[in-house]
Amino acid sequence: MRNIFIIAKNTLKLEIRDKILYGIIVFGLLYVFFTLFLADLVLKEPTMVKAFGLTGIYFFNAIIALFLGTTSFFKDVDRKVVYFILSKPVSRAQFLLGKFLGLCMVLLLTSAILGVAYLGVVYFKVGVFDWIGIAAIALQFMEMTLFLAFAIFVSTFASSLLSIVYTSGVFFLGHIVSQLVTDAKTIGIGGIRLWLVEILYYIFPNLEKFDVRDFAIHAVATPWTSFGLAFAYAVVYIALLLTAAVWVFDKKEI
Amino acid sequence: MVEFSHLTKAYKKKVVVDDFTLSVDVPIFGFLGQNGAGKTTIMKMIVGLLAPTSGTITIDGALSSHPIFKKKLGYMPETPYFYERMTGMEFLRFCDELFDNNNSGTNPAARASHYEEILKKVGIFAARNAEIRTYSKGMRQRLGFAQSLVNDPEYLFLDEPLDGLDPIGRREMKEVMLALKYEGRKIFLNTHILADVEEICEEVGIVHKGKLLYAGSVKTFCAGRPLEERFMETIQAHETEARLEPSITTSATGTGTK
Repeated sequence: MRNIFIIAKNTLKLEIRDKILYGIIVFGLLYVFFTLFLADLVLKEPTMVKAFGLTGIYFFNAIIALFLGTTSFFKDVDRKVVYFILSKPVSRAQFLLGKFLGLCMVLLLTSAILGVAYLGVVYFKVGVFDWIGIAAIALQFMEMTLFLAFAIFVSTFASSLLSIVYTSGVFFLGHIVSQLVTDAKTIGIGGIRLWLVEILYYIFPNLEKFDVRDFAIHAVATPWTSFGLAFAYAVVYIALLLTAAVWVFDKKEI
Repeated sequence: MVEFSHLTKAYKKKVVVDDFTLSVDVPIFGFLGQNGAGKTTIMKMIVGLLAPTSGTITIDGALSSHPIFKKKLGYMPETPYFYERMTGMEFLRFCDELFDNNNSGTNPAARASHYEEILKKVGIFAARNAEIRTYSKGMRQRLGFAQSLVNDPEYLFLDEPLDGLDPIGRREMKEVMLALKYEGRKIFLNTHILADVEEICEEVGIVHKGKLLYAGSVKTFCAGRPLEERFMETIQAHETEARLEPSITTSATGTGTK
């Protein structure tokens, strides 16, 4: 466990020195502040500040998760920096889990920075503290950690570029897969075609579970059950992905 | 003592280390061979980066891949790569932290002075707080060497440690290796530079296409002739034997054509 934290701490330290990450955070902050004017342009509705703000945080965190998940672990293995680490009393599982935890810490940090900016903007515009917005950002963070786990899993056997393609594909499918099943049933698709859609539903993560932005935008309290279920879903899915990633990485010739 | 017993490594059908059996118990041992001979693969198996297809490597009777043994070893990979945005000191600290026995109960200042001592020893103390991305190739080699010393290892496995160093750097590194030998550490060296082996190794293992062609003292191997000449002779003799072997086999079975 100790080695996992040392690798996580080191990963966090290295990633926050990356200028690309700074660039994304700066753009994210500019966007969150820009929502003040954007919301005035569209409908002149204060709730639009929340809609644009939460979507912006989601978008920028997704870019960060994709960027970190597909490059950080892969680079360490590809550039053979792992030789230094794995020749010490560190197992491959500890290294992989440490990288994941470190990248989660980076995401937590960026979510916190963008989240604080968002809460400040909402307070300034609407005059209330957006507690439900915090729940929405927390679930977005959970979704990003799942996304990160998938990117690391793919990085254990694919190149950085392929990881971007696969992870983006899963991100897209993860958001439409539940709608696909509903639509298939609504229009009466049955037999093998419905079966195929259902297989997709069970294989790919259902990322819609983490979307409670509408609750936050309309100031409706997020039910604790859906929050808890989404959290448990993410934990189980991440555990499965990381177990598979460790299994593949253990077999990999480095 | 390091013992290799019928060590074999194959990637699919390609055998890169072939039934390698050897016992080593000298202060500095050099694996000598051409590029692609299998030296790096052997070293990676010793330090647990690769799993053997078959056979074992034991050090003082224990399997070399065991985590307890890893605490006693230092490893420098060939052409080391680093975290470019770290400084030399930070990299040593990170490597040291991975050995949990070193930090417990030791104050950070004492550890920092330990890192400084190592960096002085390998000659990059002045660049200790510079980011690694600013280091030259020779400095990277020295840092790779430095990190292998961070846990005061009993055994050192160095893969081409003198590669990329200028003549002065080579001399300095060889002196460091000799000093480590006098401290009682055992060093395994991979190299294709014969002069280095001749100068600092007590024994050598000649590796060619994954096979061990010779293992023993350098003096006995050379028998008063230059090491380069003997090395070439051994490799060529093996190549000739390998070419003749199929025809000998077919002649013996009576199926060959004359």
